[in-house]
Amino acid sequence: MTFLEFTEGPLWYIALAVFLAGVVWRFVGILMLGKPTDRSVARHSSASGAIKAILLHSVPHGGNLPRTIYHFVVGYAFHLGLFALLLFAAPHVEFIEERLLGVSWTSMPRWAFIIVAEVTFAGLILLWIRRATDPVMRKISDWDDHIGTWLLFLAMLTGCFALQASNDVLRAIHMLSVEVLMIYFPFSRLMHAFTFVLSRSYTGATYGRRGVTP
Amino acid sequence: MIAVLVLFSTFGQAAAQSSVRPPSDAVTVAPMEPTGGNVPGDVLGNTSDSVIWHDLRKGAKGDVTIPDPNAGILIQSPGEDWRNIRNVDLSKVRQDQKTVGVSQPAEAVNWITLIVNWVMINASLILLGVLGLLAVFFAIRGRIKIKGGRSGRVMPRFSLVERIVHWFVAILFVLLAVTGLILMFGRAGLIPYIGADTFGPIASAAMQGHNLFGPLFIPAILALFLVFLRNNFFRLIDLIWIFKGGGLLGGHASSGRYNFGEKSWFWWATLCGILLCGSGVAMLFPDQAIAIVQHFYPDVPGGRFVLQWANLVHAVFAIGFIAFAFGHVYLGTIGMEGALEGMTRGVVDENWAKEHHDIWYKEHQATVVTDGVKAEIEAAAGHV
Repeated sequence: MTFLEFTEGPLWYIALAVFLAGVVWRFVGILMLGKPTDRSVARHSSASGAIKAILLHSVPHGGNLPRTIYHFVVGYAFHLGLFALLLFAAPHVEFIEERLLGVSWTSMPRWAFIIVAEVTFAGLILLWIRRATDPVMRKISDWDDHIGTWLLFLAMLTGCFALQASNDVLRAIHMLSVEVLMIYFPFSRLMHAFTFVLSRSYTGATYGRRGVTP
Repeated sequence: MIAVLVLFSTFGQAAAQSSVRPPSDAVTVAPMEPTGGNVPGDVLGNTSDSVIWHDLRKGAKGDVTIPDPNAGILIQSPGEDWRNIRNVDLSKVRQDQKTVGVSQPAEAVNWITLIVNWVMINASLILLGVLGLLAVFFAIRGRIKIKGGRSGRVMPRFSLVERIVHWFVAILFVLLAVTGLILMFGRAGLIPYIGADTFGPIASAAMQGHNLFGPLFIPAILALFLVFLRNNFFRLIDLIWIFKGGGLLGGHASSGRYNFGEKSWFWWATLCGILLCGSGVAMLFPDQAIAIVQHFYPDVPGGRFVLQWANLVHAVFAIGFIAFAFGHVYLGTIGMEGALEGMTRGVVDENWAKEHHDIWYKEHQATVVTDGVKAEIEAAAGHV
């Protein structure tokens, strides 16, 4: 078995299993924490508060834009770029069809892929620099934040290195870095990709019930 | 047995008659200059193959009816020289730096090729030389300590915007420098040790990485220029700073927010950034670059000329940029106590400021505080 066959075979399935099981375990764990009983009379709907929180916290509001413009622009550039690369890069579409879903969709043309990759890299680097240099961000960050960022950067970098798609070793290294990231993912703050819905809706429901816009 | 001998004898005569070697009494006719519509050597065959191939190798140009006049050149001689330079072991070339000049007639040697040859041979020496000088300097001078030690009081030095831009450029610079050096010296410096099979994927990865991160360097270097332009204009005080050797040789050299060395680095980085970005874009989009150049300078010959220039400029200024960066990184990290924190936390010790940027210190003396966190927040807010 070659290195590539190993990373695209057994290791891929192990990483996928750990990722899925870990995400479900974390998700169920959070849900099982439950919610303390609120004996007060509800002034407004908890559900609408939850939905409002999810939507409102996705954009700067309440005069926050000037203060959060950097995080807003760079954060969206990185996250949207990452999802576009993940779901619409031609090699990924092909891989998803072959190894995951059995169906494919239209992938990005190469020029779009390059532009999106540039934007995504710039976004990730700029977010990490802010985390490392801003005094407040530095205080609230720990190794988990940095490791998650570096693993993601490594996965993107090895993907970029393998762009020529002409060498098995480069492809295998990219697969390996992605699999390490997938295994680390459920046990880190990278879980915010899923849990942001829970945290925002919890806050929104609490505030909404009291009649306050979250 | 007889039959076999006859058979060999017959084949031998036939082989002798069909030999491509000229007869011993053959006379080599001087090569004819290729003229319009004629094939070099002409149809009568009175020019030897070796002369024809010699002329072609030296870039002999025929006539073509298609729009691209360069299509008349079967072998682009400077390009072939460049390929040879890229493919040979540089240590052997270094032993005989006249390889190109000796083996070929002088008129056939493109002077750009000679410069590229010189750059390829000497660039590694320049980089290693700079590293060596820094090592020697460090061994002699040691780490430059803050005179009087740390005061316990700090002052804001670099804003959050300045630090973010600086580190963005720095990260891209490292990625581009590493991938670029692999592309430039990989054949000569890595293949002998790791082999061509291992070098193949490394070179492929380096090329993809260099091409992907390169375009990001354009907005990054532009932002660096705009953010740091203020305070980086040369002043009379810089002349005095030069005469005092920047204080490295002893004594005190006054300076404002940036000293002469830092200002020089800023302008050098700007110049290198512009030239590297311009030449890099030309190599990424050769057709457009050639069209633009020929729009302004119609007499400029075909595409290879423009790309050779772009290649040369890119190599020369990349080496110059990296060499200067070695000094910058050295002084910003192990070379000088108290310098790095200005670019990480945004604050510097009061004694460090007094010692290295006394004029700036006097102007900002009011910002000195004992609370480091407060100073960091002030720095992040841009109160520097």
